[in-house]
Amino acid sequence: MRRISSWSVIPPLLAILAILVVWQLAVSLFDIRTWILPSPLQIIQEGMEIYPRLLSHGLATIQIALGGFALGVGVGLLLAILLHLMPRAKESIYPLMVLSQNVPIIALAPLLVLWFGFGTLPKILIITLVCFFPVAVSLIDGFRQTNPTLLNYMQMIGASRRQIFFKLEWPSALPYFFSGLKISATYSVMGAVIAEWLGAQEGLGVFMTVASSAFRTDQVFVAIFVIMAISLLLFGFIMLMEKWLVPWDTDRKGADDDDE
Amino acid sequence: MKKLLSIFIPVLLLAACSGNGDGGQTEDDGLTEVTFVLDWTPNTNHTGIYTAQAEGYYEEAGLDVEIILPGEAGAEQTVATGNGDFGISAQENVTQARLQDVSIVSLAAIIQDNTSVLASPEEYGLETPSDLEGHTYGGYGSPIEEETIASIMQADDADIENVDIINIGDTDFFTAVQRDVDFAWIYYGWTGVEAELRDFPLNTIDFTEYSDALNFYTPVLITNEEMIENDAETVEAFTEATAEGYQLAMDDPETAAQHLLDAEPDLDEELVMASQEWLTDVYQGDAPYWGHQERDVWENYMNWMYESGLIESELDVDQAFTNEYLPGGE
Repeated sequence: MRRISSWSVIPPLLAILAILVVWQLAVSLFDIRTWILPSPLQIIQEGMEIYPRLLSHGLATIQIALGGFALGVGVGLLLAILLHLMPRAKESIYPLMVLSQNVPIIALAPLLVLWFGFGTLPKILIITLVCFFPVAVSLIDGFRQTNPTLLNYMQMIGASRRQIFFKLEWPSALPYFFSGLKISATYSVMGAVIAEWLGAQEGLGVFMTVASSAFRTDQVFVAIFVIMAISLLLFGFIMLMEKWLVPWDTDRKGADDDDE
Repeated sequence: MKKLLSIFIPVLLLAACSGNGDGGQTEDDGLTEVTFVLDWTPNTNHTGIYTAQAEGYYEEAGLDVEIILPGEAGAEQTVATGNGDFGISAQENVTQARLQDVSIVSLAAIIQDNTSVLASPEEYGLETPSDLEGHTYGGYGSPIEEETIASIMQADDADIENVDIINIGDTDFFTAVQRDVDFAWIYYGWTGVEAELRDFPLNTIDFTEYSDALNFYTPVLITNEEMIENDAETVEAFTEATAEGYQLAMDDPETAAQHLLDAEPDLDEELVMASQEWLTDVYQGDAPYWGHQERDVWENYMNWMYESGLIESELDVDQAFTNEYLPGGE
């Protein structure tokens, strides 16, 4: 927090504002119909009107997004640590991890419904599937980046495997872990929406399906804005956590912090 | 991710391509290129189109028709932007679409009566709308579903508040009703016939039994307003050739079904044949000729939608449909 001066927020805000202005002008200048592309003002107006409905759908989505995110991070974390401590297993399991990301969700989701129904479980599984990967991969990379001189030194003075892990490898991999977390956080919201799309009682995914089948493009955009806002909040929260937990690294990063 | 993108991309593409809706282009061989957008995966509602294609009716009419499946954007939007010249929709969609300024027009009713029903496995014992209380409905994500079910339940002294509604998206009916869902909305001519073939006894609740207004046209053949304005000739040629295709489907269901199967070999042959047989008398129903649309049907359903709060203003139904291009039409 100390390092983000209020000035650094201004350029992105200006950029967003510029996009919105151009968008607004283009829509009114070319007289684009609302169902093709609503203007930002129309979207905001619609958003204020449907706010109560949106809130309950949004909360439903946040709930499963957070559930899936937590589980995904847990799985990613465990897997990365396990694979790091057991290099043999890594050779055989790492390719499987990559393969898991090649399963098209569109094909998988109906199967999950077939196996687990329309409840929360299949949705959480979908989100977990997309969320564990960035965490696991970046953490494994992080472990690999451990300073070899320090590692050598610790081994020379007779540090145990456990000590090496907790005193050296884990702290030095933490920044990588957070990079993975940030990617996963954004994926989790999208994963939740897609999961709801394929079958749910409530949530922004359901809301979008209904809105688009009623030709309410403005409402679809309201949902898109809400989804972006939720992702952004999650992202921001993780950045704060990072500054708090990895204060030594924020100096180095700073510039390349916004990797997505 | 792909699924999410699929909603952004069409919207952007549509935005980019709007205003380019002046119909087909003429090829070297003198045929006019026409794009036709289905409402769903190919099925027997579409037989007339595949038949007109296979029998060469379109070619005789000077058309080169390309049949495409709808993306996430739906046939209505694709046709309204001119990215498709013709397509399949349903009366409820045309009504909603027109009120959102999506300027599509219905050219023909593919089936005269609303053959869609609420279906559930017989063992659940859901025979009347009031039986639905305490059960779970698996919807496909249209705003009209809840109101429609609410109104037939009301007619049967029951309350939709006691029904759980889950959006099941594209999940197959048979899968859905064996999982957490008790009943769903199906086209009898396809899923109902499939249930018969599978020996899967169904209870069905027919909307039209409880409200005349709910006997709307679904599906219908659509085009966009600009097409009618700028190229009425193509509209007429296409509509007539399509009508001819449906005529053959009524006269000779087996040949027509075979055309559909030839075009879409992945379809289940037994189902296509049985469904085609079922639809033979249903396509035209009691209408004077295939495709005919009654003003009352448009008006009554629009009023019902308005009274149910599904649409915010009334629609001028005379602009929403026309019989003009049908053979036999006025």
